[in-house]
Amino acid sequence: MLRDITLGQYYRTESVIHKLDPRVKLVATFAFIVSLFLVKNFIGYVIAFLFLALCVKLSNVPPRFIFRGMKAIFFLLILTMVFNLFLTPGDPLVTVWKFKITKEGIRLAFMMGIRLVFLITGSSLMTLTTTPNNLTDGLESLLKPLKKVHVPVHEISMMMSIALRFIPILMEETDKIMKAQMARGADFESGSLMTRARSLVPLLVPLFISAFRRANDLAMAMESRCYRGGEGRTKMKPLIYQSHDYIAYIAILAYLVLIVVFGRILFV
Amino acid sequence: MAILLNHVNYIYDEDTAMAHPALIDVSLNIPDGQFIGLIGHTGSGKSTLIQHMNGLVKPTSGQVLFDGEDINEKGYDKKALRAKVGLVFQYPEHQLFETDCFKDVCFGPKNQGLPKKEAELRAYEALKQVGFDDEYFYQSPFDLSGGQKRRVAIAGVLAMRPQVLILDEPTAGLDPKGREDILGLISRLHKETGITIILVSHSMEDVADYVQRIIVMNSGRVQFDGEPRQVFAHYRELEEIGLAAPQVTYVMKELKEAGFDVDENATTLEEAKNEILRVFK
Amino acid sequence: MIRTDKLVFEYIRRDEEGNVEGITRAVDEVDLSVEPGQFIAILGHNGSGKSTLAKHFNALLYPTEGEVYVDGMNTDDGEHLWEIRQEAGMIFQNPDNQIIGQVVEEDVGFGPENMGVPTEEIWERVDESLKAVRMDKFRKSSPNHLSGGQKQRVSIAGVIAMHPKCIIMDEPTAMLDPNGRREVIRAARALNQVEGITIILITHYMEEVVDADKVFVMDKGRIVMEGTPREVFSRVDKLKELRLGVPQVTLLAHELAKSGLPIHEPVLTRAELVKELKALKER
Repeated sequence: MLRDITLGQYYRTESVIHKLDPRVKLVATFAFIVSLFLVKNFIGYVIAFLFLALCVKLSNVPPRFIFRGMKAIFFLLILTMVFNLFLTPGDPLVTVWKFKITKEGIRLAFMMGIRLVFLITGSSLMTLTTTPNNLTDGLESLLKPLKKVHVPVHEISMMMSIALRFIPILMEETDKIMKAQMARGADFESGSLMTRARSLVPLLVPLFISAFRRANDLAMAMESRCYRGGEGRTKMKPLIYQSHDYIAYIAILAYLVLIVVFGRILFV
Repeated sequence: MAILLNHVNYIYDEDTAMAHPALIDVSLNIPDGQFIGLIGHTGSGKSTLIQHMNGLVKPTSGQVLFDGEDINEKGYDKKALRAKVGLVFQYPEHQLFETDCFKDVCFGPKNQGLPKKEAELRAYEALKQVGFDDEYFYQSPFDLSGGQKRRVAIAGVLAMRPQVLILDEPTAGLDPKGREDILGLISRLHKETGITIILVSHSMEDVADYVQRIIVMNSGRVQFDGEPRQVFAHYRELEEIGLAAPQVTYVMKELKEAGFDVDENATTLEEAKNEILRVFK
Repeated sequence: MIRTDKLVFEYIRRDEEGNVEGITRAVDEVDLSVEPGQFIAILGHNGSGKSTLAKHFNALLYPTEGEVYVDGMNTDDGEHLWEIRQEAGMIFQNPDNQIIGQVVEEDVGFGPENMGVPTEEIWERVDESLKAVRMDKFRKSSPNHLSGGQKQRVSIAGVIAMHPKCIIMDEPTAMLDPNGRREVIRAARALNQVEGITIILITHYMEEVVDADKVFVMDKGRIVMEGTPREVFSRVDKLKELRLGVPQVTLLAHELAKSGLPIHEPVLTRAELVKELKALKER
């Protein structure tokens, strides 16, 4: 049950997209999301779709892996669409009991649906093609300017990568403790909400104790390996832009220009 | 006939790219009252196997029968089964959670739905069975030494009065005396109560001294199953799968090769000593 | 390499309200000295103070009284802290809780990164360290997919990459199966013999110390026995009293001797026992 939650769903393969600097991918994803909210017409969505399709094709990730992420938001997608469909005021086309479906509603529901699908596809593509630690490295580097205003950027990214390392371990541990308590007759699945909440105590107490023990051990191990914060630290894999990264930046810029010109200004 | 496994197969992470078989066609008969050693290195499938015996894991195919009934049939009372087939996990002290030891041991019997008095009585008995001192009863389990914590955790399962007790690596992480104490305790439990015991271990030496039967698991299959001396006779094959027979087995083989008239199948220190002394008489 | 002088470590126990309940002396006037290139074993039951002692060698703990010198540097002297931690690397018991990287090679690079080693050299160090523990095949793997023994070898590589003179291993095999234990001990021995790195192995598995240059046995924070494995193992009954055991052959030989066979104790290996018995038979 808990094992189904997968973080860092990296898909290992060789591709142009995989090779890109994580900073490029972060910026591109951000730009793509912004672009979705800039688009005002059908042409714009076509451009966004073509851009996304090109990226998916280049990434060599089988589309079914990309759509797997969609399952998780399917309910949200339907809900958003239904809300928009029924609750948008305007010219009523069909009336079902007290609800009216309006022309504007159809348009909006359609737009929101497409936006959401594109948004999830775009960000899944990023996590599928970037290892979690590459991602944290990229974030650390992009957020570096915030250091000037005393945001502990290095510490945050270190925390993120440690969390990513320990989440699978703690998942497994949760599973094990759960089974051990079930072997002693514990029941996590039935009863009222209160009893169920109470039945979590035998799971949570050992889990917390274990997490603290691990944190303590890890702190000691890090100290013994000369860890002393970000100061004076070198990198084994420093992020250095290659020529293909610059090309990618130009492509993103070109895409944004296209979106603004065709999706917003022309053919309004 | 207590536990019967009938052509059990289990595929781990089925339906994913990571799918791999953890148990392959395992058929076993665990009669009442036996003291069994279950041996295999990490990843051999022994932990998965024992979780089938109390219904924590469902076989992909095949049956697990307890007293003749299929435990994975619809409507079978698994909670009752888990009280009858007690399972002590590896590092069981990591599952303690109550504010004092006594309460923690009461957790199992309470889940069985026993009245408070009865639950407490059973908890008291179980703590006594594991040789736990009265003076620590109301201490927080987290203040105890490793060996003591483990006793409390074992008592937590014993308090449900199981007919079968399965222990997964009960000596892991303990020092030599601690290991000896726990093994002695388990062996005494078997003698006094006559319950079935399955001791999971990767140390042949620990197991050889106590058990009547050894089951060796390797890559999801039962490789050997028999009395210790029968199993250790395959010491070369055991080595190939990363396990070794007890040191004395090797000593006896080497003595035999050197022309001593000893029984090369001695598996315990006591047997080896007597054999050697016999030759020198 | 490492020297302690009347080392005492005490910690204060407090009850739930924070009142002092008492003082526990975890390490009690320990004098010991380790020469460069030695393979040292420290034995003791759980709670004998051996891990507390080990943490002093890496300046993770500081003495309450007395002194610890690592390569001539006093650990109390804050100035040398990072030098000490670089020269005396440490391996801990739990294989999961000391791997920081999400990929094997990145974890090995963690120490050098902290030390400010230039990128190119980090790669060289990672390469050679992974080769030294024969884990180079797994360099791109996630630590979560490795066995316990392999994880410990990755941790050892992580320490070697810092170019230490000495590695302290605090029960590195306690949580491993026999295969894993063999892998780790083999790696430790190879480092000692090939690279000349001083090894301090803390354990309660007697089989692992048979080849050590010197063995210290601890009890109640004190060193109660020291000598070669042969000297230490000749006192089977004393070891048992200290909650320790001896390898099964040593014990067998001891039992035989007690039953009247004139065997020269201690016997450390199978071959020795067979030889002894043969000699007896011929007489």
